[in-house]
Parts: sequence; C-alpha cells; structure tokens
Amino acid sequence: MEYSFFKNCAATCSCLPIRTSKIPVFLGHPVLLCDAGTIFALSSGHGRCGVAVVRVSGPASTTALRCMAGLTHSLLTPRTALLRSITDPQSKEVLDRGLVLWFPGPHSFTGEDSAEFHIHGGPAVITAVLQALGSLPGMRPAEAGEFTRRAFHAGKLGLTEVEGLGDLIHAETEAQRRQALRQMCGDLGRLYQDWTSRLKRCLAHVEAFIDFSEDELIEDGVLNQVDTSVCDLQAEMERHLKDERRGERLRSGVQVVIAGATNAGKSSLLNTLCQRPAAIVSPIAGTTRDVVETALDIGGFPAVLSDTAGLRDSPDLVEREGVRRARERVEQADLTLVVVDCAQLPSDAQQAPAFLQGHLSSILPTQEQRCLLVLNKTDLVSEEWRQQLETELRRSSGLPPVCLISCQTNEGLQDFLAALHSSIKALCGDPLSGAPSLTQARHRAHLQQCVAALSQYHRYRDTDLALAAEGVRLALTSLGRITGRVGAEEILDIIFKDFCIGK
Amino acid sequence: MAASIEPLCVHGCRRFVTLSKTFPSFLLRFSRTASHLARHKYDVIVVGGGHAGTEAAAAAARVGAETLLVTQKIHTIGALSCNPSLGGVGKGHLVKEVDALDGLCGRAGDWAGIHFSILNRRKGPAVWGPRAQLDRELYRQFIQSELLSTPRLTVLEGSVEELLLTEPDPEEPGHHRVTGIRLANGSQPVSASSVVLTTGTFLSGSLFMGQTTSPGGRIGDAPSSAGLSHTLRERLGLRVGRLRTGTPPRIVKDSVDFSLASLHAPDKQPTPFSFLNTHTRCKPEEQLPCYLTHTTPGVEKVVRESLHLNCHIQQDTKGPRYCPSIESRVLRFPGRRHQVWLEPEGLTSDLLYPQGLSMTMPPDVQLCLIREIPPLHRAEIHTPGYGVQYDFVCPTQLSPALQVKSTQGLFLAGQINGTTGYEEAAAQGLWAGVNAGRWALSMPPVALSRTESYIGVLIDDLVSRGVTEPYRMFTSRAEFRTSLRPDNADLRLTLKGFEEVGCVSSLRYQEAVRVRDSLQDALAALQSLVLPTSSWKKILGDVGISETKNSILNGMDLLQYNNVSFEMLASAFPERFSPHLEFSQRLEIEAIYRPHCDLQRKEMERIQREESLSLPPDMDYLSLPVSLSQEVREILDRVRPSTVSLSTKELNLVFSQSNQQHQAQQLLW
Repeated sequence: MEYSFFKNCAATCSCLPIRTSKIPVFLGHPVLLCDAGTIFALSSGHGRCGVAVVRVSGPASTTALRCMAGLTHSLLTPRTALLRSITDPQSKEVLDRGLVLWFPGPHSFTGEDSAEFHIHGGPAVITAVLQALGSLPGMRPAEAGEFTRRAFHAGKLGLTEVEGLGDLIHAETEAQRRQALRQMCGDLGRLYQDWTSRLKRCLAHVEAFIDFSEDELIEDGVLNQVDTSVCDLQAEMERHLKDERRGERLRSGVQVVIAGATNAGKSSLLNTLCQRPAAIVSPIAGTTRDVVETALDIGGFPAVLSDTAGLRDSPDLVEREGVRRARERVEQADLTLVVVDCAQLPSDAQQAPAFLQGHLSSILPTQEQRCLLVLNKTDLVSEEWRQQLETELRRSSGLPPVCLISCQTNEGLQDFLAALHSSIKALCGDPLSGAPSLTQARHRAHLQQCVAALSQYHRYRDTDLALAAEGVRLALTSLGRITGRVGAEEILDIIFKDFCIGK
Repeated sequence: MAASIEPLCVHGCRRFVTLSKTFPSFLLRFSRTASHLARHKYDVIVVGGGHAGTEAAAAAARVGAETLLVTQKIHTIGALSCNPSLGGVGKGHLVKEVDALDGLCGRAGDWAGIHFSILNRRKGPAVWGPRAQLDRELYRQFIQSELLSTPRLTVLEGSVEELLLTEPDPEEPGHHRVTGIRLANGSQPVSASSVVLTTGTFLSGSLFMGQTTSPGGRIGDAPSSAGLSHTLRERLGLRVGRLRTGTPPRIVKDSVDFSLASLHAPDKQPTPFSFLNTHTRCKPEEQLPCYLTHTTPGVEKVVRESLHLNCHIQQDTKGPRYCPSIESRVLRFPGRRHQVWLEPEGLTSDLLYPQGLSMTMPPDVQLCLIREIPPLHRAEIHTPGYGVQYDFVCPTQLSPALQVKSTQGLFLAGQINGTTGYEEAAAQGLWAGVNAGRWALSMPPVALSRTESYIGVLIDDLVSRGVTEPYRMFTSRAEFRTSLRPDNADLRLTLKGFEEVGCVSSLRYQEAVRVRDSLQDALAALQSLVLPTSSWKKILGDVGISETKNSILNGMDLLQYNNVSFEMLASAFPERFSPHLEFSQRLEIEAIYRPHCDLQRKEMERIQREESLSLPPDMDYLSLPVSLSQEVREILDRVRPSTVSLSTKELNLVFSQSNQQHQAQQLLW
C-alpha cells in the first residue's frame, strides 16, 4: 500500500500548503506511521508442535473473534480463555477446537484490540486458520516485528526495552536470556534514564545561568555544581564503555578462533567441540583453507568457534588467501585457541616453554590477546615426557593457560572445556551482577559521542558558555538517541523548579 | 529638543524623521472618524496600535498592501504600556530579527534608548542580550512618525465592534472568510481581505487593584467592545483561555533616596539594535543610570497581611513564571531577597519604574509595601500598580503564517496569542502583517523555520505546542542557538526578507548584500593565509599557540584563540586584512562559531525537510485508515499540524522521538 502524497515545498521559507484537492489523502511518512489494518501471525514457532498460538492485533480483532469463534459482543470477556470451535468464516467449516482470548486495547501488548487463538500445532490446522483470518476484510499477515513495533508506537515499550525483547526472543543460551530479560525489564533503560535526567539538570542549570543570571540571583556556584556533575557523568560513562564489550559479546557470541600450524589438529578440535564432523579432517597439511564457523553453547555462554587454515608460507594462492583470512580472524578474536602438536615440541622438555613463547608470538598479533594454549595429540608422546613437560610448564611464567589434550582419545578434554568455559565467562561477565552491560554497538557509538560532547563543556566553560551549553545539549541528544528526546520545555521546567526566577 | 536630533544615516539608510517638523502633518493621514477615510476598502486592516499592531501595519504596507490601522486612541500608538525597556537575553535576538526584516522596533529603540547595555557579555556572542532603557515619549514619537511616513498606510481612531464574515473560498481550507470590520460608532463597515487582530490585553480584559475590578486592558483606556470577543468565541468557535499580568506602581523620582541603592551604569559605548545604525541618538555620556535594590522581610509581611484585600493574587488564572508579581515572588520563594531595579522612564520624566514590583493590592497598601524597601522609604506613588486578566486565543488554532486556521484572512499577533513582552509581540506582528498583506495580494503564505530564526522558534512553539502561561522568549528555546545569533540576524533574514518575502526595502537589502560579500571576502582572505605555527609565533608573539597542534594554521584557526584578535592580524597583514576592519567583531565570532554551526547543519536540514512536508489542513485524522492509537488521533485532530515536523513534535509529547522510532523500525528485523 502506498500512501504518498507530499507536497514538497522549498526547504526554507516554505510556502504553506494551499490544498485545492478534496481527494482524501494519507500520511506517508515512514517514520511517523506504520501500515494500516489488523495484522495476524503465527506467534509460536514453525513446525509440528502440540499447541500453536496465532495472534491478531488491530481494530478488526473482535471481527475475527466473532466470525471465527462465534464470540458475539455479549460473550467477549477481556483476558479470559474460552474453549471454542474455530470455524472458517466463509464455509462455516470447523477448523479446530481451541482456546481464544480477547485483549481489548489499550491494555494489550500492542496497545490495540488484540486476540489470540491457541490451536493444535499441526501444519494443516495452522495453515487453515491463517487462511481463514486472511479472508476477513481489513486483515493482513503481519510483517516481521510488527507487533513489537506497534507496541513501541503505542508507548508500551521503550527503545532499550524493545531491543531487550528482540534479544530475548533470539536468546539461545542461558546467559543471553538473563541479560536480555534484564534489559527488557528496563535495567539498562533506567541507567540511561538516570544519566539523561542528570544531564538535563546540568543543562537546565547552565541555561538558567545564561537566560536569567543577569536579572536574578543565580550564583556562580551553580556552574561549579555543573562542573562536578559533568565530570562524574563522564567518569561513569567511560567506566560503562570500558566493559571490554562484555554485554555485546554475550549478545552476539564470543569469537573463539582456533589457530596454529598446519596439521596441529585444529579441525579435529573443532569437530570434538561441536561433536560432529563440521570440518574436513585429513593427515594432509593444509586441508583447511577457508574459515569454518560454528556456534556453540559453552556452559550457558554463546561462542562462535572458527577453525582456520594452518599458518605457513605456501606457494598455493588459495592457501595463501586462507592464511591471510586466518590471521585476520585471530586479530579480531576475543579468544584464540592456539593448537600445537605435542610431537612437534623440542625433545628436551626444558626448552618447551621458550619454544611455545616464540610460537605464540608468531601467531598472535599482540601480547595482550587473550588465548588458551592447547597441546594436542598427547596420545603420540610418552607418559614420562609428558610429565616432564607439565613440570616445565608449571615452572615457567609468562605463558597463557595450557591444556594438554588428545582429540583422538578425548583425554584432557574435560579440563580443557572447564578452562574454555571460565575464559568465556570472564569475557562475558555475569549478566545479573553489577551494573547492566552495554549490549549494542549502537549504544556504544552514541555514548562515545556523548562523552566527547561533554568535553566540549569543559573546553568552553570559561570562555563561551553558549558553546559549553551546546556541548551538554549535544551530549543529551546523543543519549536521547538511546532513550528519548529532551525538549526545551523540560529544561525550562527544571529551571523554574530550581531557581527563583522573576523578571 | 530638536537641537539634539541629528541624522544617523549610515550607508544610505533612511533618515530619522525630525519629529518637530513632521508633527502637524500627522493628522493628514491619521483620521479620527471613519467618515474621513479616503476609502472604505483596504487590503489589510490591523486592529490595535501596540507593538504587534504597529509592526503588522508597517509590514503589511511594506509588502505592498493598502493598509488601515484602527486603534482606540491615536495618541497611544507606540506606547510602552509597562516597562520602559527593550531587548534583553532572547528578547534582544527578536529585536535584531525584527530589524533585519525591516521592522520598526530596533530603530525606535536606537532613537529612544537612554541606557544601553549588552547583557551576558561574558557568556558568548550567541547569547548576548542587547538591551536598552527607553524614553517613553521618544519611542512613541518615533513609531508614530514612522507609520506616518510609511506609504499605503492609514491610521483610524475607533473601536472595532465586530468582524465581518462570509462563506469561505472553497479552493482554500477554512470554514469562514473575513471580509472586514464594523466600528463601534455604527458607521459604515470597512472591508478588507485580511484583518490582523492585535488587541493585547483588551480582549475581555479586566483590571484589578485591591478588591476593585473594572473592565479594560490598560488603565486610562476604554475597554474594547464585547462584540469582538463574542465573534471569536461564538461565531468562529475559537478556544480561548485566560491569562494574567500586571504592572508596578510608577514612583516619583524626587522622593527616592538613591544613596541607599547601588548604581548600575550603562555600557560606555552604546551598541545600536539596528543593522542600519552605527550609533544611537543618545550620546554615550548622556545615558542615564539604573539603580538596583532589594526587597526586605517587611515587604513579605505586607504582602501576607494584605492577601485578603487582593483579588488578583487569589485567582488562579495563569500568570507568568518569569514576570511574576511581587506577591507571587515572595509567596513562592519566601525568606529571600528579591531584586528590584529602579529604571528611568525618560530623559525628562520625573518618574521611575520599579522593575520587579508589579503588584495588585489596594493603593494605600502599595505605598506601605514600597516604603519597606530602603531607597523608597519616603517614596511617593504617582500611579499605582494593577493587574490585568485577559482572554487569549489558544494559538494551536493558528497556522505558521499566524492565520486562524478556520478563518481565511484572519490573523492574530501579540498577547492575544498568549505571549508576553514587547519583542514577542513585535515579532509576531511583523510576521502576521507580512502574511496578511500577502493573503490580500493573493501571494502564498510564508513561514520562518525554527532553524533560521528566533521568530521561527516563537511561532513554531506557539502553533505547535500552545501555551499554558504567558510565553516569553529565552535563548534556551532555540535548538540552534549557536547559529541564530544576534550578530548574524541580517544575513539570516534580510536577504530572504527582500528576495522571498518582500518586506525589506532595497536600501536595507543592498546594505545586507554589501555586508555579506565583505564578510565572505574577509573569511576567504583569512582561510587563504596559511602559515606554519612557528611563523605565526614570530608574527604574533606568544598567544598560546601550542606546538602539538597542527603545524600549519590558517587565519581562521588563529582567530579561534582567545588572545588573537582580528586587529592583530590586520596590523600584521595590513594589505590583506585592513579593508575588513569594519567587521572585526563579526569575523572573530564567525571563526569561533563556524565549526559548531557546520555540525548543526545536518540536524537543521532534517528539521527543514520535515517542515516542508505539508499536511492538508482538512485531513480527517479520526477515520484515517492507518495504525494510530485513539490518543494520537485525538491530538492530531485537535492540533491539525500543517507539516510533518509539527505532527512529529506533537506526537513526541505522547511517545518518543521520531528518529528513535525509525531506529527501532530498522532494528526490529
């Protein structure tokens, strides 16, 4: 449906509309309004299941209940489940028997009149009910996310809550679920709201000093308070930003990259971890050429595991590209698993730590890169040598955590998984403790702008208060992109509440 | 008097009229009865001769409309009803903008000013508040002589009984069309295509002093006819609200003990309001001082003990938060000292205006109250203070051209729209006059964006948000304050006022073009002078240029340093810069603000885009087949936004910001 009609006047000094047409016209502004009508969709998952839920939202919801479940006006009871025969509105054929519910607006998820049909989950039943709904006038299938969008437009959810809801629906691991739920319930929103209200107060005080201090008894001390508040806010935001992307990582998965020399057993490790032959394994060096990715739930935390080509100089163009990609992945990794073939270590175990040190520095771009050293193929070395090696490794310092495993026999795998889990957990943080985490790169970008804008306040504080205030205003706008806009009237209200303003 | 008058011409601006010579000829164009009118049909009729009315009449005439100004008393045209001052923080911006659009009040202020100062001098040029104390008599005379010398403008003394209405033009939105006015004396109607109402506090106005109430809008003037109020309310169905204001008693100057107040001197060098004037009529040394004093606990006591005698304060009609009476100040913030300014009323006046002492108690109590203030301990009151309550028309019923949406050709400006202050009235008057003239001449209406002017901010706030208390301008209302500065009002508005609006004389336009071109040349010269830091240091000495900065800097970069002035650059590079010395201050301001303004441009463009997307005024929001909550439908139906920008603003009151929604849409799958 296209509702476009704008009369686009010159951008400035626009001539106001003089409409002569009497044809009804509609708003076509994509930001302001969404499409018309009553929408419906299967809200439970696709595929065979016991019960499926079909949701309807919009003014024709009651029509659907009347035509398909025989709920006339007198039978409509808000928020009560009724067992009804569900019929096709045209043929009157009974499609299923199930529960129906009516949620009159505005007390519904979307704020509009809504209905739910809880039907049996067979594909034929679902299809029949959806087709029946679609045959009613004013009904159309919902677009992805449209229910939530309507809820947002009706003011039922704030933006961070909407994002939390989206994450909750997509949460695949336990920790992701906790973080998303916390955000949906408004924890993150509250943190940003708190900053917004403090910034508003700062701005109000600077504005009061600009607009009223000549007439009124507004002391210079007002600005000193603002100085302190702005510094505090900056520090808090910087702390929030310096979370090492824990929240974002938990939301999108920790990037774990398996790297090492050719034939060290990297692909075997990947297959062992995901318990299926995700990557081709062969004794031929250079089997893996491209990056092989797989998502894993490691003790409740999401990880994206990437197997990469073995690092070596190769004349083969395709393999060289694979090596380049491998190095790129290692650079972007949150955690690198450096796999080493035990059999390739120096036969003198005493030299092993130094050898490993050198090996690591040839693989990792920086020393700070988090990594786990995985010494594979323990089944190929003698027990005695292995013990010597372990002793030497314990003695040496400066090496990352080391695990000895055998992908062939699964020896040492439990210890390795425990080490991997604790590393990943450290990277994600505990979603339930402490301050809520920054979960979206979008938030990070706005917050960084906010912090930068606040430094403009300090820069101009003594020379040009208008520009200093502009800094606070910009900071507030950046925060507003996460939480909601702040209008001039709100600032004035604070001014009048906080000061004795008279002409 | 005449001896002190000198021409103030710069760059060919029109000369100040020598009042003593022109006074007799006044009556030629000022008619006392309608029967003397040369004609009975005008393009525009302006009702009211205050700040809004005079600007409206002059602006309508400037755009080319044959205009009639109707006022109760010709003598009070241009009278300063309340405070004898013009400008201030935010308000000064409006004066500069009205002047940039060739309005009257800036030049009148330069003519009548007797104490000039720039407020907020240390807080940055974007928020400088040019302000002046005025001589009431000189101000009135200037406005009257200006109106007289305006072609196409006639002034008529009379009271308007009712508006003449007819069926609307079906090609345009609206339910009615205005065709003229009928005067109270029962004479023949006067017809016009547009009518601008600027009735100030006279619309169902009542005066309050102590326990007595009388109808009226200003003491000493007859109340306006009830017919007009009836027409607006009953025939046009406009929603009206009630507001209140007040004015302080005037004090006999000789009875004041100035030794107990602190003297407040004006700026040593007065800065004119008008872009056309290089200096003010008043010589620097002739300026009069103001005095500052404070209230005492005794004042609070008098207020509290006389509350039962004070009708005005007991009523809960909305009063201004920022121009409150002394009663509401001490009641709202008890136990504090409140400022009282003692301001001169004129060069020869023997009265003082006590700013901050607006009061409505009985006259004998007023005397007791002022005598609790140390310098006024023996003071005599010349005229007591009083309160006014009056009707205003909820301004959301207006278009951005200040036309009543339901009534073709009817425009409102000033306090009738719920604002307070001379400057706010003048700004609306000018814009309503422009649009009334354009309507009469069948030209499309024009709107000013809030991204380009304080006038735009003022009108946009009024028509999109409405008012709940008298609206006053503040710099914090302007989102793009760093771009909308008093110094650049001419570049923002004069060019457009001539090229697109038609309300600016060609003389002023030529001057603005000259200024624009010179500034561009000077900025280009600054930008093209590029030197390494070390050379700059050699040339200018130690001005705080840090080595770590870019090793190469241009002249604009240099001007951003606090210690570097344009004069310094001009003395170092005389050939290059000395031709531009006239614009030293403006160039320094540009250098500092330009980067910030550039940053704002994107957001400004977004708003301008939304402002230019127009919505039909007759849209049926209640049955619009789009997904909107009932609440939103009702708001849209009530406000009837004329652009998407306005509707977005309205909706922001209900839910969050539009670009947030946009982000939400993008981010939800």
